[in-house]
Amino acid sequence: MNRAIINFDQKILDTIHKHSLELLHDTGIRFPNEKALGIFKKHGFRTDGEMVFFEEKDIRKTMEAVPSAFSIKARNPEKSIRIGEDNYVMAPGYGPPFIIEPSGEKRDATMTDVEKFCKLVQTSKYLDFNSSIVVQPNDVPVETAHLDILLATMILTDKPIMGSSVSETAARDSLKLAEIIWDNTDEPVMISLVDSLSPLQYASEMIDSIMVFAQAGQPLIIHSACTLGASGPITVAGSLVISNATTLAGICLANLVNPGTPVVYGLGGTPMEMKTGGYINASPEDAKHIAIVTAMGRYYNIPCRSQGALNESFCLDYQAGMESAVMLTTAALSGVHLSLHACGTYGSMVAMSYEKFIADEDLCGAMKKLMKPVEFTDDAFAMDLIRELGTSGNYLMEMHTMKRCRDEFFIPDLSIRAMHNKWLEMEPRDITQRAGKLLEKRLAEYEKPDIDPDVEKRLVQYVNKRKKV
Amino acid sequence: MAIEDIFEAVLTFNKVAVAEGVKAELDAGTEIDSILNEALIGALDVVGKKFSEGEMFVPEMLQAAKAMKAGLEVLKPYLRSESVASKGTVIIGTVKGDQHDIGKNLVAMMIEGAGFEVVDMGVNVDADRFVKAVSEHNAGVLCLSALLTTTMPAMENAVAVIKKSGLAVKTIIGGAPVTVTFADQVGADGYSDDAPSAVELVRKLMAT
Repeated sequence: MNRAIINFDQKILDTIHKHSLELLHDTGIRFPNEKALGIFKKHGFRTDGEMVFFEEKDIRKTMEAVPSAFSIKARNPEKSIRIGEDNYVMAPGYGPPFIIEPSGEKRDATMTDVEKFCKLVQTSKYLDFNSSIVVQPNDVPVETAHLDILLATMILTDKPIMGSSVSETAARDSLKLAEIIWDNTDEPVMISLVDSLSPLQYASEMIDSIMVFAQAGQPLIIHSACTLGASGPITVAGSLVISNATTLAGICLANLVNPGTPVVYGLGGTPMEMKTGGYINASPEDAKHIAIVTAMGRYYNIPCRSQGALNESFCLDYQAGMESAVMLTTAALSGVHLSLHACGTYGSMVAMSYEKFIADEDLCGAMKKLMKPVEFTDDAFAMDLIRELGTSGNYLMEMHTMKRCRDEFFIPDLSIRAMHNKWLEMEPRDITQRAGKLLEKRLAEYEKPDIDPDVEKRLVQYVNKRKKV
Repeated sequence: MAIEDIFEAVLTFNKVAVAEGVKAELDAGTEIDSILNEALIGALDVVGKKFSEGEMFVPEMLQAAKAMKAGLEVLKPYLRSESVASKGTVIIGTVKGDQHDIGKNLVAMMIEGAGFEVVDMGVNVDADRFVKAVSEHNAGVLCLSALLTTTMPAMENAVAVIKKSGLAVKTIIGGAPVTVTFADQVGADGYSDDAPSAVELVRKLMAT
């Protein structure tokens, strides 16, 4: 089934693909990594220094091998996820080094914040897994922060995890920790994000991560994004070609290392703020990218990702809501399979906010509900009931209504659906304060998921041992 | 062609007209100092002001800087013989482990536009290379850039190595994850939020 509401002419998609192949063949992609260059050479690819050049057949072979859907096991089997097909999974912000408080104050994120976000992800009705850098904690050494974040996520949540791709060591640590939980990593038990540099190149540590995770058969999100007018042409079309060529080259490497490695395909394109040189995440241009990327994902028949509830605001105001909704709605309606940054970010992903996280969950819930197909069963048509009641219209008295009244509609947790006088009496009435109250409740109600004490002990031992080295 | 025409040509991004204008003024015997300060640097000051007010966009500012540089190229051989003092040299680069350079390039271009000599070291620059460059060029200010939180320790290290070297250079830092608190913590001499304030900061530090 084609879930997308926004579609593109096949000829346009063919042209994007054709131009991408031209770049891959003529200009090449820079892989500043000896091991990767060796793999390309071994498979007969043309190289020149750090540049690698691709033939159409290489890309075709790669894209044919990438699965159109795959599953990731969670520590709690009920929370395992499937990526691709009609599924839509979401994860919170990825990478912000700061927290913005309701007062507007910006402070460094800490491990306490990582743990609190783990608890929110665990208790979330809509988020499917935690991100591997939900915030970048500033109170632990950066070289070993990935160990602390992985440990917190593995113990405080039982949802699927993201591997850490910040370095080859971090990727190997992710696999070692997963082996403690599952004994082996023969099946996908995590997904990891690889971002390219733009234009047309990868940083060496990202290349290492592609190779380590692909070797272990663990899924990758391979994502490439240009800043429109800065690291790519100012036009959507031009930047798309650069990002597509770069992403395809990364997928090709993963597939050479281990044919059939599950990959989620991603392209982005954020405009540069032409008045200041700043970086803008939430914009109609980025939303257009999401729509085209999903079309390209279907073109290649592989799962695709998008950004999430991104915005340029620093508080829970109209702008934050409007921009977040435009971005996430476009992703959902375009038929994306995975949205990263779906909850909690402010200001072009520079910071996370607890209150925004709570508010975004309503948006995530609404999007998941929107994308759930309308039910057309006999019970849903309710023809007998319609005939029986005729023009009397009192459906509220019927069992059919009673049976479905809790699940049929989307019920927001934060948004107001009250009469005006009730709203006037509401204490607190301010949305940020109401989000704060929900936050307290969520953290108070959190229960640590069951874990084998021996597994927990070995996870902690591994992390402590590694941190001593 | 007069000084005002060169000034105007910078503001309308006309490289050819700027170069020709400077040449004509040199031939006419106009003082080097007034071509440099009134026409070229003067025009870039206006560009900076218009940019700060949101009236001029980044690509326009960069084209204006390019036009200004075209004039400067014509003027350069005379600058030495006339011994017009340079405003000073600034070293700039992205720290070790970080490949991001858009913001750094923008800052470099604007500092250059303000009349300073700029030596751009590029990306992924280790601390020792910064020390060498500062010493080689007798630089007054060193600008360090980072986009990744994971490369902020490299920035801290570069500041420490520079301090240890005993070179009389002022170090300023910037980039999305960097804050004024971080700058204080690592002992940098300055921090700025954006490119125009980086230029102001360089001006201030060079004057001290």
